[in-house]
Amino acid sequence: MTNDVVLTVTDMSKSFGVVRALKNVDFELRDGEIHGLIGENGSGKSTLTSIIAGSQPADSGTMIFEGGPWAPATVNESLANGIGMVVQESGTVPGITVAENLFLGETGQFSRLGIVNRRAMYAKAAAALEAIGVEGVNPAIPAGACDFQTRKLVELARVMMYEPKVVVIDETTTALAQDGRDLLYKAMDAHKTRGAVVFISHDLDEIMSVCDRLTVLRDGDIICTFDKEDFDEGAIRAAMIGRSMEGHYYREDNKATSNDEVWLSATGLNLEDKLKDVSIEVRSGEIIGIGGLSHCGMHELGKALFGAAPLESGEVVSRGVKITNERRAVRHSLGYVSKDRDTESLSLAASIRDNIASAGLRLIGKGRGGLITKGAENAYVQEPIDTLEIKAPGAGTIVSTLSGGNKQKVVFGKWIACGTEVLILDCPTRGVDVGVKQAMYRLMTQLKDEGKAMVLISEEMTELMGMSDRLLIMKDGRVVREFERNADLNEMEIIECMI
Amino acid sequence: MHDLNPTDVSKETDVPVDTRNDATAKAADKAESTAKAEAKAASKARRSKLFADLAPLIGLAVLAIAFVVVGTSSGTNMSYALETLINQSVIIVIIATGAIFIFAMGSFDISLGASTLVAAMVAGLVHNATGSLWLMLGAAVLTAVVTSLISATLAAVFNLPVFVTTVAMLSVLGAVASALVQTTGGAQIRVDRSFAREYDTLTVKLIVAAVFIALCVFLFNYTRLGRVEKLIGGNPITAKLTGVSMKLTAIAAFGIAGLGVGLGAFLTVLRTPTLTVTSASDIGMNILVAMVFGGMVISGGPRSRIYAAIIGGISMALLNQTMAIMLQGMAGGAGIAQMVRAVLFLAVVWLAASGFRTKVLPR
Repeated sequence: MTNDVVLTVTDMSKSFGVVRALKNVDFELRDGEIHGLIGENGSGKSTLTSIIAGSQPADSGTMIFEGGPWAPATVNESLANGIGMVVQESGTVPGITVAENLFLGETGQFSRLGIVNRRAMYAKAAAALEAIGVEGVNPAIPAGACDFQTRKLVELARVMMYEPKVVVIDETTTALAQDGRDLLYKAMDAHKTRGAVVFISHDLDEIMSVCDRLTVLRDGDIICTFDKEDFDEGAIRAAMIGRSMEGHYYREDNKATSNDEVWLSATGLNLEDKLKDVSIEVRSGEIIGIGGLSHCGMHELGKALFGAAPLESGEVVSRGVKITNERRAVRHSLGYVSKDRDTESLSLAASIRDNIASAGLRLIGKGRGGLITKGAENAYVQEPIDTLEIKAPGAGTIVSTLSGGNKQKVVFGKWIACGTEVLILDCPTRGVDVGVKQAMYRLMTQLKDEGKAMVLISEEMTELMGMSDRLLIMKDGRVVREFERNADLNEMEIIECMI
Repeated sequence: MHDLNPTDVSKETDVPVDTRNDATAKAADKAESTAKAEAKAASKARRSKLFADLAPLIGLAVLAIAFVVVGTSSGTNMSYALETLINQSVIIVIIATGAIFIFAMGSFDISLGASTLVAAMVAGLVHNATGSLWLMLGAAVLTAVVTSLISATLAAVFNLPVFVTTVAMLSVLGAVASALVQTTGGAQIRVDRSFAREYDTLTVKLIVAAVFIALCVFLFNYTRLGRVEKLIGGNPITAKLTGVSMKLTAIAAFGIAGLGVGLGAFLTVLRTPTLTVTSASDIGMNILVAMVFGGMVISGGPRSRIYAAIIGGISMALLNQTMAIMLQGMAGGAGIAQMVRAVLFLAVVWLAASGFRTKVLPR
């Protein structure tokens, strides 16, 4: 890292409606550094970087990039002139091929007389993917057919292909399993010789190990910047949340506990090559953790347990009822929190009220002949809003304007409000900050104490070990090992089972 | 060995939170500017929402003024023009109100006009055969509901988007209409109008419209059906993963839309007892344009409102009547009217879409 400044942001402000996302912030990026941005959801990290990368304008303030004024009107303009960004949510177009995503708007370079030379495009796409270490992805298949990790890596390859001076990686690692994260870290490290990286993550361990400097944002303000030698987990966390955190992060007990009744059982589940003869049982008051590398089948298992996957064979039963589709699952008190929150768990254009009420409309109308009144609905949604401390001006706030953590609280609220007894949680803390994570873990512990059953699918080993009563490790579509919660649980032993 | 409680953070209380050395004066200035900006943004947001809510009403008022000005300045018999306006708008409003249930899901029925025609023809034939007004009403409603349900059921059975089956239904209904006309041995179905005089009154039409709209408002806003339709329109994947049956909901929505089409067909026969294969041909397009004029989001979802059909239906009828007065006697007047409708349709969609885009930004 040199002390040459490549990018300076001065007195920048941005508002979304009544919400002030950035408040007169100043920010400086040096050549050759990986600069971390950290803060709670809604602190302004993504807003700052999205303005830098041209996806939206600032309300006020100036930027200087490599000595000249910087105000890109679009993401493409920004990328072409030296700053590229990998966004937090999916940034690929699902209906077109991986190669077309890589060369989006640029396929003319392979075109002669209006006919695109696909072979040349696929070859160059494969080379671009290999340049960041991604192998085995067919550039000719639709991006929508790839899993979330592969799509994020395609986005990274697209940005890197332009050899920008500055790369912004916005909360991407939570979509990646360990192998994908390693590829990303390697690419970021290599990029330091060419320019600088702005890296946004909620994972404090990760950001401390990867970054050279670290800036903390809170409520649209830049609180402070730490140099590598001053990194201190406690100080950073306190700066992030503006208060001290009390109590434990994960469960305090070291013993597996559950009631006797089996509330959810799956027998001999088979689904293409993703699930192979998978059988599990989940008891009342138990948290079953499911872990593994990417493509191990754990996300497909989550959907299969909820009746949302077209099984080739096998059956899922919840308290005597065969779960054959999502409708049946919800009717029999199952709930599903998807890894892909915005696409599968929320109606973004709808209000907090509409989203939370959506799973409990029958309950709201119960005893009133199905009539759903405003009063009954407001009463129904207010409790989860209060319990989960969803930060918003009111229940009528549109969900798309909320931060990631508050969105996830809305999803939890939807299932908790209708009294769901069996919760299937696929990466429930993806993209949420440390404060929200702690709240989620407390909630899960509380639900367990109430006798609810939970399936926790996660790519974070500490989360799985910290919360699960039993931990099932999957590999190549099979459950290969089961660990029971105890004080001597060995992380290395678990990881060896995954690999 | 892994520590199961690796992040005990209870000791993290002594760490200074704000390590910047901002001057007190600067901080005060910043706080003041923040407060001002927040107040300004809040005010702007309120104004935007108010404008979005009022825009269809403003459009309606402008069209109403244009109708009165054009009508009086051209010496048109305004009481007759007003009666025609109500006759036309009642049918559009009823069918559009039922169709809101389909549009709210982000779906679309292109066969609404053809369905209205077939239902009206069947109703006319039933009346000619039985002489019963009530059987005529029953036949209109039954035919329209069955037609709608066939579209929705086919889509459910074959796992197709409902829109696709309505395209097929459009062709089928066109053929059915031709066949029905041929049963009379001529080019039209004539219904004895004398029976209808007693019922072809504004009072009857307004009562039918009011009862149907009240039913729809109730179902759309106060029951699970309307709520899940908006949920499907907002995000069908989320709706499915929240336990909503897409197929049953679509069937219910098409059933209600069919009821609206049936009532519209009944009123069409009362008003126009001579039916040809081109009768009601512009209803499908009128409904779509009316929805957009009324502020309905084309993609459906949580911003769908019943009043869009009412305001839009009246706006559409006002526009049609105003242009009819302006262009009467002019060569190619009908074509000009079509073009004006198309341009206004595009303009309203563009305005609505550009207003919406700015509100969904990442944070």
